[in-house]
Amino acid sequence: MHLIPLLLYGSATAAYLAHFARGGVATGRLATGVLGAAILSHTFLIGMQTFEAGHAPLVGTTAAVSAFVWLLGLSYLAIELTTDERALGPFVCALLAALYVIPATDPSVNLRPAVLQSPLFTIHVLAMLCAYASFALACVVGVTYVLLFNEIKAKHLGYFYARLPSLQVLDGINGRVVTIGWAFLTLGIVVGGIWATDVRGYPDPRIAEMSILDPKILVALLSWGVYSFALVARRAIGWTGRRAAWLSALAFVIVMLNFVPVGYFLTKSHNF
Amino acid sequence: MPLFAIGLSHRTAPVDLRERVDFSRLGAGDALDAAVARGIATETVVLSTCNRAEIYAVAGPEGPDAVGRFFAEYHDVPLAELADHLYVRRGAEVARHLFRVAAGLDSLVVGEPQILGQVKAAYGVASDRGHTGAIINRLFHSAFGAGKRVRRETGLSEGAVSVSYAATALARKIFGDLAELNVVVVGAGDMAKLTAVHLQAQGVRQLTIASRTLTTAQRLAAELSGRAVAWTELGDGLRGADIVITATGASTPVLTRAGVQDVMRTRPPRPLFIIDIAVPRDVEAAAGDLEQVFLYNIDDLQGIVRDNLARRSGELERAEAIVDEEVDRFDRWMHSREAIPTLIALRDRFERIRQAEIARLESKLAGLPPEARDRVDEITRLMVEKLLLAPTEGLKAVRDANTIGTYAEVLNELFRLETGESSGEGTRPRRITPLRRG
Repeated sequence: MHLIPLLLYGSATAAYLAHFARGGVATGRLATGVLGAAILSHTFLIGMQTFEAGHAPLVGTTAAVSAFVWLLGLSYLAIELTTDERALGPFVCALLAALYVIPATDPSVNLRPAVLQSPLFTIHVLAMLCAYASFALACVVGVTYVLLFNEIKAKHLGYFYARLPSLQVLDGINGRVVTIGWAFLTLGIVVGGIWATDVRGYPDPRIAEMSILDPKILVALLSWGVYSFALVARRAIGWTGRRAAWLSALAFVIVMLNFVPVGYFLTKSHNF
Repeated sequence: MPLFAIGLSHRTAPVDLRERVDFSRLGAGDALDAAVARGIATETVVLSTCNRAEIYAVAGPEGPDAVGRFFAEYHDVPLAELADHLYVRRGAEVARHLFRVAAGLDSLVVGEPQILGQVKAAYGVASDRGHTGAIINRLFHSAFGAGKRVRRETGLSEGAVSVSYAATALARKIFGDLAELNVVVVGAGDMAKLTAVHLQAQGVRQLTIASRTLTTAQRLAAELSGRAVAWTELGDGLRGADIVITATGASTPVLTRAGVQDVMRTRPPRPLFIIDIAVPRDVEAAAGDLEQVFLYNIDDLQGIVRDNLARRSGELERAEAIVDEEVDRFDRWMHSREAIPTLIALRDRFERIRQAEIARLESKLAGLPPEARDRVDEITRLMVEKLLLAPTEGLKAVRDANTIGTYAEVLNELFRLETGESSGEGTRPRRITPLRRG
């Protein structure tokens, strides 16, 4: 059952790639349909897990990755349906399929310990996931910006030139999604800080590790710093275009490092 | 009645002759009215562009000759002079010709997209004046479909095939919407003007012209509704520019890397697209290395045009295959029309039998309530419909005119498909014969 979304995310990637390479209305609709089916099956799975656990499956890194994939897929689909622009589809779907391998290989649901039952915890997790989804879109848009920029600059107009929207449009989207992501990240960090203060002294070793020195929290603050710099640099020193695109791609690498390897192997405070 | 097309195009006639038979010169609508006034055809469309003059019509066997004479007399050109350049297409070949025209396959620049709009406009004029009927309507709507399919499913219309279009397409890829852009033209030559006109047609916000001689700049500015600036104010102009077109006759670069770098430092961070169409070049090549500066010279733009033309020619086979499919579909429809008189007669015959039987049983049905009588009527009607469904579809599917003729003869014999058979008016029975292709 948990492999069905993986198969569908993989198929959606293939369909979007086919549409990117050859175009065609039918292929485009097929790609959107397969992605829709993937998200639907994923929703069903999350619903089943919620039913099984008695709460939303947001406890633990694997559950967070699954929720992140679901949220990113849904955000992308919403953007695609409102703009009718499928050029980012192969990139987003490839990320979805790659990340979904993690929850697909570990379908167990972690039960929520008493310390995580505060609504602040739920707000913290949801805000962070929304931020990560926005940053993922910013990264994809940034990468496509660089690909198109390089083609135009090198005067070899080809694959990306024929398929991507204009540089200005990509830069505009990048700026907007970084701003939205930064707002969610700020909210997530602040609410997480308040929650950590509230539960201080709770008899759980992970709560005792909630400090700025924990790698997960430290890297989250570092990524907040990088995205804050990206926002300030865009407005104050004119870091738009290719610089902004590189920055959003680099910052997302930090986010992903924090999300997966740090979340699984290094943190002592966020391993519920 | 047969469908045919007659005309001339860039493939068959030199430009001076095409100019003399240009229907749009006096108004395509007037030409259409004049053709219709002669009573040559029952359905007529006049298609007139700078590269072709054609008339599509449905008329009797003498139609093509009559339309040929109309071509000559309307434009006052001797028929003998025209005859060698006119082509005539009949039946399915009309569809093939028009579908190729609509898809841009018959254009001077293969794949150019304007032709589909011109075909639509020509049909619109004829349709508005009531000069189209079932065959022409179907023909042209099929042509629109074929043109759209070719554009959608192949790369035949992709990529600019002129330097001006290539520059405009690049500007769109960098900036997206051109409506808020400022364009600075450095120099006042013909090429600069042509590119500026193209960009202006895209609705750029402001056009600024700078030339070493202010009066030359002012003259071009007046012509293009732009603004002229003195050569000494060029730096200020560049600071506000999004697109710069350089086309001076200078023997040394007008814009150096250092100069462009200075400009970029003092303006908000946004892209600058420089189109250098001067030979020798006006802009130092190294200026293109600067971040946010996109520099294209005339060779770069011509290279893009060459690549696009090569790519388009690679799509020809796929485009022709789509045209073949659409012609085949239209041809099947045309053939299905040939069976229509037989089918109408067959249905009339069955309906008359049904009505006669109901009338014969009137005395027995009289005692039934109205709902039951309606039910009897409906059941008998549905029986007739079902009995006729398979033969109707079978006859419509036949593509060969001779076979349709044979079927019509057989049906005539078996079912006595004759008008006036039971009318009791004493008229001589008339045999039903299928329509024949011209």
